[in-house]
Amino acid sequence: MNIEFGPELESFRQEVAAFLDVAPTPAIREAGKKTTSVFAPFEQVMAWHKILHAKGWAAPAWPKQYGGTGWSVEQRYIFAEECRKRELPPLLPNGLQMVGPMLIELGSEEQKRKHLPGILAGEDYWTQGYSEPNAGSDLASLQCSAVSDGDDYIINGSKIWTTLAHHSNRMFMLVRTSKTGKKQEGITFLLLERTDYPGMEIRPIIGLDGFPEQCEVFFDNVRVPKSGRVGAENDGWSVAKHLLKHERGGSAASPAMLHAIDRIRHTAQQTPSPFGGVLADDPVFQRDLGELEADVMSCRHFEQLAISGHPMARDAAYPSVNKTMNSELSQRISIMMTRVSGIETVPQQLEALVVGSNVAPLGDDFDLIAMPYYLNTRATSIYAGSNEVQRDLIARTVLAANR
Amino acid sequence: MDFNFTEEQVMLRDGVARYLDRNYDFDARQGLLRSGAAWSKETWSQFAELGVLALPFPEEVGGLGGSAATLVPVAETCGEHLTVEPLAFALALAGGALVAAGDNAGARARLADLASGASIGAFAYDEGRGLAAPAQIALAATASGDGVTLNGEKRLVFGAAQADFLVVAARVAGKAGDATGLALLLVDPKTDGVTFTPFRTQDGRSAAHVRFDNVKVAGADVLVRDAHDVIVRLVADAILLLAAEAVGAMSAMMRITGAYATTRKQFGVAIGTFQAVAHRLADMKIALARAHATLTYSTALAEAGRLTARDVSVLKAQVGKLGRAIAEAAVQTHGGVGMTDELSVGHYMKRVLAFESMFGAADYHFRMIGKAA
Repeated sequence: MNIEFGPELESFRQEVAAFLDVAPTPAIREAGKKTTSVFAPFEQVMAWHKILHAKGWAAPAWPKQYGGTGWSVEQRYIFAEECRKRELPPLLPNGLQMVGPMLIELGSEEQKRKHLPGILAGEDYWTQGYSEPNAGSDLASLQCSAVSDGDDYIINGSKIWTTLAHHSNRMFMLVRTSKTGKKQEGITFLLLERTDYPGMEIRPIIGLDGFPEQCEVFFDNVRVPKSGRVGAENDGWSVAKHLLKHERGGSAASPAMLHAIDRIRHTAQQTPSPFGGVLADDPVFQRDLGELEADVMSCRHFEQLAISGHPMARDAAYPSVNKTMNSELSQRISIMMTRVSGIETVPQQLEALVVGSNVAPLGDDFDLIAMPYYLNTRATSIYAGSNEVQRDLIARTVLAANR
Repeated sequence: MDFNFTEEQVMLRDGVARYLDRNYDFDARQGLLRSGAAWSKETWSQFAELGVLALPFPEEVGGLGGSAATLVPVAETCGEHLTVEPLAFALALAGGALVAAGDNAGARARLADLASGASIGAFAYDEGRGLAAPAQIALAATASGDGVTLNGEKRLVFGAAQADFLVVAARVAGKAGDATGLALLLVDPKTDGVTFTPFRTQDGRSAAHVRFDNVKVAGADVLVRDAHDVIVRLVADAILLLAAEAVGAMSAMMRITGAYATTRKQFGVAIGTFQAVAHRLADMKIALARAHATLTYSTALAEAGRLTARDVSVLKAQVGKLGRAIAEAAVQTHGGVGMTDELSVGHYMKRVLAFESMFGAADYHFRMIGKAA
């Protein structure tokens, strides 16, 4: 066994650190500190994307020929770790982690040429049109229809939970092109080159945290070119499954979690305990924080084994185990944050949370984000296949081993 | 980074697994316990032959130059087979104490015999309802002549009544709670004033409470003075091996329970098709993945000599907590038959619960982790 990254990777870490220490603007740093979701504040995160692109570091996981860094798994982990340590806003995942890798594997040459550069450069933002009001965990029962008409499809229906669609200029979506046979067999995967087609309407949805992160998108006879289809007609489910793999896997979640634990402990050191002294010295608090930290450490160990290529990460259940574990851990961290913050979580501070706002937080930064983070983090066990669905998938691997 | 075991480790583990598969299935184990034997002498000599007993000790004393961490894959296999042999107690604790004694002649001689399988030792550590940390040791060793006199009791000493030698962790100065004033003593179990109350443990091992009434220990048998840090290290090694056994037991429970949920039918279908049952299986698998990852990572840290007290606490607490969760889910999924002595699942449960209670339970270690960065 060898626990070290080795001297070459450590010097790579220093190179990354040197850049990250100087490259982000103050607004980007502020956006990082005010990030209470997987999706960082849009304007600043796209600005950060462009800076990283100029450096050639926007797409760590892409192959070099498409503008990726060509980094090893270890290098990518180190890069993510250094970004999280500095609370920098994580780049939006839709283009870089979902559409891009999917196109590289399954897209036509023309689609790659057309779409990959805009994703890489941070010029395009792709929103995800999967869920519908009546198709959430049971995604395959989606109804939004596309009818063939010459070189076009005509789309009717609606999509929901289209993250940041009101900022998007592209959309990837699943549509129903056939109502016969198994429900999975009548689905087609489409890339939309615009989100302002005639008949297309985007309505933001205000979330529990008070912000319009999610949207609903309505389609009323929207005509889109067939050239945006990925894979064959009615074969979109296999494309979607491929893409969900990217949505669930590949994580460097523990560095941000450990950082949050440090912030919780730091805040508890300045918070009086009702039993005297400070909260950080309270035995019950210590025990509970210790349990949370131990669970984060196990998550970290799991991550480190995975990036080293350990067989544990090749288990068919790995992406679902990872997603379930990480989402539930972030939720527990968010609960601990609100527990320490106490009544400071009660004031609603929408203006202070906006990057560049001239409204000062009522408490400190920790108090400002504790409750919005808690509220937004409820979504982690719902999105990308609810944790109930993930547990179904995990259980299936247990039962399959015995058939 | 590389978290794989070496070829030699894998070969040794496979050798042990082959032997245990043939000779130590659950029925054979239960037969061994019914016979009244403390453990299988044949298995112990097989361990000696395979090199397991010599592996963790330095070459100059007849060992193979490994460490407790080198034995982790073997210990996992032992846990899967629910073995009752005192691997961690005799090797990591008693044997580790002898190594720490340096060139002490008595220690050297016993270490050679331990590594060859000719003799076996026990480590007398716990007191009262259990020690979370060595500083709590109270057993009094008062100075007499060039040695000490022992008065008091040690509890839950694994293999004590069968041991050829005892290593006793005692207090020569100060009071319980002090990190100073501790010593490791070599005691012949036949010495006047040493009495055993032997018993079988819940999980099938053999142990005893040991009383010391005016037991004289010669100066030459004081193995280590100022022993606090040494004891901490020995206990960390024992925790690593016992955690490996526990994770082995957890893997076995996962396998057995998955198979049961696939074959057991109620309401005309396999019970694993019910979502409430399926999700419990999923939670077991998540728990096992976490425990296994932490065991493997901790082993790598130990090999690199970088396993801190905090890391030991993470390992002990996580395997204890997750072991209990898996065990309780396993018994629940088995329903009524899970409650019987006849099935192995409850015996695995007792193994992981014994682990959880020793060397500080999860709550203690969680608090240590939460206390300071």
